[in-house]
Amino acid sequence: MEIAVAGSEEFVLGFRLAGIRKAVGAAPEELERAVDALLEDEDVGILVLRSDEMAGLSAGLRRRLEVVPQPVVIAVGGAEEEDLRTKVKRAIGVDLFRTT
Amino acid sequence: MVLAEYKPTRSQLLQVRKTLKLAERGHRLLKLKRDALMIEFFQVLERAREVRSNIVDRYQDAAGKLAVASAIEGRVGVRSASHALLQKPELELTTRNVMGIVVPKIKAEKVRKRIDERGYGIIGTSPRIDAAAEAYEELVEDVIVAAEIETTMRRLIEEIEKVKRRVNALEHRVIPELEDTERFIRLRLEEMERENIFRLKRFKEAGA
Repeated sequence: MEIAVAGSEEFVLGFRLAGIRKAVGAAPEELERAVDALLEDEDVGILVLRSDEMAGLSAGLRRRLEVVPQPVVIAVGGAEEEDLRTKVKRAIGVDLFRTT
Repeated sequence: MVLAEYKPTRSQLLQVRKTLKLAERGHRLLKLKRDALMIEFFQVLERAREVRSNIVDRYQDAAGKLAVASAIEGRVGVRSASHALLQKPELELTTRNVMGIVVPKIKAEKVRKRIDERGYGIIGTSPRIDAAAEAYEELVEDVIVAAEIETTMRRLIEEIEKVKRRVNALEHRVIPELEDTERFIRLRLEEMERENIFRLKRFKEAGA
């Protein structure tokens, strides 16, 4: 299995340097289609996206990224994800990510 | 559950008591499971926060090094070096079971490479590209660790929420309703018994 990266050309270039072959550089309007194609690819084990670009995806696709068993989707370039924070708050009852 | 659905009979009373006992046992076990999941979650959370903060730092560092390499070598130079790479990181995805939850276990190979394994010539490229490539390899290593930990955390949270909902449903709805039903049948049976005794007394009086 492989790691795949999708995002702007600038974002994926560095990952290409690390040897990642499935690094898809896409313009914001093309990103959804690129992510969709990578989700269908059975050879992709981990899908790396940039946090702010992931937040810009449609709600349906973001939900799919959360629940899809494979690939494991991970956002890079931001601190804690907001949806994870909300989930933790709902499950535990306390906002564990609060810093102040 | 509607009380009228139950016939006030002895066998129904025994059946309700049995169900109530089962519900109480289930409630106790689910509470234990919830607590165990919470302990596991807090252990994973600590590691997840650590890895997440590593990723933030490493990404900034790697992006900075890439910007320097692009500024000095030009984007074309960096891009051509990236296309020359021969080895790609290989992943092996298996699963493991944490208290009934299936979580991924990821093993990676060929993430960190020696300079001569990267595929682009040593002479043709500058140390800035090497530094950027090394920084991104480190980032990819952390991303692999984070992918495993964050997915485990997500699945644990989902399971905690599910177990919590079940515990609450048993505690606030199922068990109180079963207790009400049990009380209703018990009182109705006692009432019927009293009616019977009274009827027998009346028969006895009428016969005397």
